[in-house]
Amino acid sequence: MAAEDDVNCRKASRLLSVACERPLEAKELQALKKHLDKCLMCRNFEAQLRFLHKASEMFRNGG
Amino acid sequence: MGPRPAGLAFRRALVVLLSAMSRTTTTNSRFAEIESHRGYLVRYALSQLRDQQLAEEAVQEALLAALEGIGGFDGRSTLRTWLTSILRFKVIDLQRRMVAERANVAIDDERLVEDHEAWLDEMFDETGHWRTPPQSWNDPEAALEQRRFWEAFEMCLAGLPSTASRVFFKREVLGEDTPVICKDEGITSSNCWVILHRARIALRICLERNWFGREAAHGR
Repeated sequence: MAAEDDVNCRKASRLLSVACERPLEAKELQALKKHLDKCLMCRNFEAQLRFLHKASEMFRNGG
Repeated sequence: MGPRPAGLAFRRALVVLLSAMSRTTTTNSRFAEIESHRGYLVRYALSQLRDQQLAEEAVQEALLAALEGIGGFDGRSTLRTWLTSILRFKVIDLQRRMVAERANVAIDDERLVEDHEAWLDEMFDETGHWRTPPQSWNDPEAALEQRRFWEAFEMCLAGLPSTASRVFFKREVLGEDTPVICKDEGITSSNCWVILHRARIALRICLERNWFGREAAHGR
């Protein structure tokens, strides 16, 4: 496996954020999933992004 | 006109609103309800106008207009949505007046993104691991029901650098498309993503510090 396929937390968090803006490419998605499988912190971050999204929507309608 | 303390224009408008309301059937609780939208309205205006004083002015004008038209509020939308729709027109008015000025305020795109990248560098160690690891938040849904959570949310949003706060507000709160936001801001998509990445990480840290990390303090 090439080293460039290895994703660290910084890269994973960037991919998770970019995924809110555009669909990830298959290669990006695969690398991200591989990282998330073994990283609880980034899974927590993923859940937090979903929460931020939901909270922001509610904020618009009055909190 | 010289600089004024932030919020003065808004409070002045509310005083007018309150005195007019007390002459009608509207109660003080309605006044408090409108006041509770203040933070949101100013943040909305700031996301569009980039200027604190102009934003306060737009909110003041919107509230005066709302006062005149309060009979037209039929409760079909939420009060916040109704107030925002009035504010939108005021903002557009002010934006038209600003166009000439804005042409002179070129944004240093490269430097802006360098700042955000440098900030992100600080969030991770040399091997790319979190310096402040995201925790598992206990029952986040319950937070959404609490008024004090929304105060923390507003505070965290206001604490972001102005560009990050504005871009995040447009993207996540108003739900605008990223290409539209980037175009309005005059920045490239990839730079937009860097800014949103920063905003999301900064917000999660702020909420973890000020809300989710202090659950004992909320008696839960």
